[in-house]
Amino acid sequence: MSANSHETNVRCSCEAARNFVDWYYRQVNDGKSITQGYVNGHTAYDRAGHPPADICINGLVVATPQEWEKLLEQQRQAPKQPDPNKRRVRYEVEGYDAHVVNADYRFAAPQKMLDVHAPTDGVRMMMVLTVTGTVYFGTGRDKGDDYWEKQNFHDRFILVPNWDALERPGTRGGRKYLVISHNYRAN
Amino acid sequence: MAPPTGPRAGHGGSRPSSRGARGGTRGAGGIGKRRGTPRTDRDGDVSMDSINTGNPPTGPAAHSTRGNRGARGGRGGGPARSSSRLAQNVRNYVADQDGTAASSKPQFNKVTLKIHGLKESKAASNPDGGLRSLLGFLERKSSKERPITLGRGTIQGDHVWLKVNQADAPHLLRLNGFTYAGAVLAIEETNGPMPGQGNQPTDGADTKPSDTKDKLMAVLASRYNPEQKLLDLSALGADPILTTMGAFESKPLAEKSFKALMRITATHYDNAAEKDAAIQAVTLANNDIQDVVEVFTMAQTLPRLLRLDLSGNKLDDFSKLSKWRHEFRRLEELHVVGNPVTNLPTYPTQVIEWFPSLQILDGRRVRTPEEAAEALRLWFPTPLPRLPSNLRDGGNNVASTFLGGFFALYDHDRIALARQFYDDDSAFSLNTGAESASSAYSNYSRNLDTIGVRGSSAQQRLFTGSNLIAELWARLPATRHPSLDQADEWQIDCHTFPSLADPSGQGFAMGLAITVIAQFEEVDPTQQLAGTRPFARSFILGPSKPGAPHPYRVISDELTVRAWKPQETSVAIPIPAVGPAPAAPAAAQAPVLDEVTRAQMIQELSRQTGMNAEYSRLCLAGEANWDFDLALRSFHEKRADLPPEAFVLPA
Repeated sequence: MSANSHETNVRCSCEAARNFVDWYYRQVNDGKSITQGYVNGHTAYDRAGHPPADICINGLVVATPQEWEKLLEQQRQAPKQPDPNKRRVRYEVEGYDAHVVNADYRFAAPQKMLDVHAPTDGVRMMMVLTVTGTVYFGTGRDKGDDYWEKQNFHDRFILVPNWDALERPGTRGGRKYLVISHNYRAN
Repeated sequence: MAPPTGPRAGHGGSRPSSRGARGGTRGAGGIGKRRGTPRTDRDGDVSMDSINTGNPPTGPAAHSTRGNRGARGGRGGGPARSSSRLAQNVRNYVADQDGTAASSKPQFNKVTLKIHGLKESKAASNPDGGLRSLLGFLERKSSKERPITLGRGTIQGDHVWLKVNQADAPHLLRLNGFTYAGAVLAIEETNGPMPGQGNQPTDGADTKPSDTKDKLMAVLASRYNPEQKLLDLSALGADPILTTMGAFESKPLAEKSFKALMRITATHYDNAAEKDAAIQAVTLANNDIQDVVEVFTMAQTLPRLLRLDLSGNKLDDFSKLSKWRHEFRRLEELHVVGNPVTNLPTYPTQVIEWFPSLQILDGRRVRTPEEAAEALRLWFPTPLPRLPSNLRDGGNNVASTFLGGFFALYDHDRIALARQFYDDDSAFSLNTGAESASSAYSNYSRNLDTIGVRGSSAQQRLFTGSNLIAELWARLPATRHPSLDQADEWQIDCHTFPSLADPSGQGFAMGLAITVIAQFEEVDPTQQLAGTRPFARSFILGPSKPGAPHPYRVISDELTVRAWKPQETSVAIPIPAVGPAPAAPAAAQAPVLDEVTRAQMIQELSRQTGMNAEYSRLCLAGEANWDFDLALRSFHEKRADLPPEAFVLPA
């Protein structure tokens, strides 16, 4: 049996997926920043020369997470709409799933991490996460609110460990996993 | 929404809703007198209370016939009674739509009363046996503390049977022993069942709700133009059916009737999209509309209306139109001519401002389609633009080659596919999202959102290793994916990424992440119905272990399927089975060549013609349908038209 499907890794990847999904879509729905969830600008990866996250939105390659935020902001624009319950964009997650694709992830890993965590510890994992759901345009804050238009969306993330946060456990707000690749499609 | 259960449920007075009691269906009969304080409710039901309905300004004289009946006991005349009955039926629909009336509920708190004495009274000689005037008498006498509205009674033998609200019963029982038209009334509560409906028609003017609905439906049908997708609701007051029904004989009743028409329109279609497609235009011309509040419901029933005609009404001010200023965001054409409001100096500007999609106002173009799209964008968040597939797979067409082979084999020979591209470490799982209908996929759905991240299902529904994966695939429905040549059918994004584990155990390897969104054909196994199922599939490809048939393998394969939908064309095209039968099913399909043969043909065509692999593939897959000679011939015919990039560049 592959280390990728080792019981601990599967459990840890599922939990990491849940944490990421909960965080990411809450931030997006609240119009808050999601840049810290991407690998860009994280010390360990920057120092080791990791390329910036690959972000592809509806077929358009976006250079930085900040630009993706700008697109999200652009998508939310409805300046003439007086009713706050008709101008939101709300992502509703209907399903997600994750696989470990490399249980022995080493890129930019501090030696301590390599020493302490075996590939079956569910820590040094590269994961692929797919999320599916519906995005509502011109709607309110809550599930079931009326909407103007809706689309199905599909997100695919590749996540890697955030060494900065793992080395300093207990740091508040530090994401445990970072996005190195994000593919988004809404139809 | 529960349909009305029958005539009884249609009673304004038989429902606990305050509408029935306050709606002014009684008094001395008819709609003329109203109690209750002015009230504006959300569904536009304003004028019912806010207009002084004793003298409707525009409606025909609703009460002109009052008293002509000469009914003793003073109950109102025929048309008014019929109107109020109709109003109750109409209101029943409207209330049903509002969700305020549960059709089964009222029966719980009902009390049956048995009244004796009508036969002995002078009113017994009335055309209806005196029932109507008796009910009027009881209502008047019992309504000392608060208005009480009675339902329809039934005369059976010497008794009148009547169902009343529990709370009203004591007030009515107090009337026991009263003298009515020369006879002493005996009123008692009974547990006996009401005599059957319809055995003895008691009120000739009564209309069952279903009749009302049928008639209103007939009105709508006669006024619908399928070619123009137009619902012609002009001059409703002159409609022969509605006139017979008395549905528009007063303004409040007209509004109720209009609401009922809208309600029937709304429920006639299965879904909003169907409704929007069927009704794109409405004319409300010549309806004496003074304020769009009177017809406000239409904005909720037909929010995506494209064309609207309001001409020939009595809208005299912007405030009379302003209730709709946040509605009809898609309205492209509007006619207001023949309304006093058009004489106001700011008339066109204000209306154009209110309706962002408006392009034609009173026959004049006021916006171009582009300007309208831009104006609408300011009102609603706009989805991001969609670009076609984005393939960044390192220049070797690895993704297209892999996907071409992958889906052909997935459709025809899943066992071979699992052997070729999957190894012991490969992982597969599927996810049905929020799909509500159960399908062959449901039991295997590894949707962590619904099965939870800690349960055993998350482990069990992760299929690792080519054998397990092939076993699962054999249980999934047969599919047919569109050809990759149909670029419009596919959204494929891919790019390479670093830091996969190298299978040799040394260093890092590059991976290829591919996301595919498309839909495949799938036959519904229970009904043998052809249909399609949208899906998304995410692959992570990495280098193979030594000795594998291909240089790369699938490390992760996550399939997301969405709800199956039946095909619009009913012709079911047989999809070959993909059962676990080891006999190569692909061989049974004459035109289907395995990928290896195809690759060889592409290579050979490329060698003979000088075209690159992509164009060679296109040439073979097109009209030639993998007939090598045909493809070669077609190349020679079209050679002059081919772009330079079709050919392999000289090294």
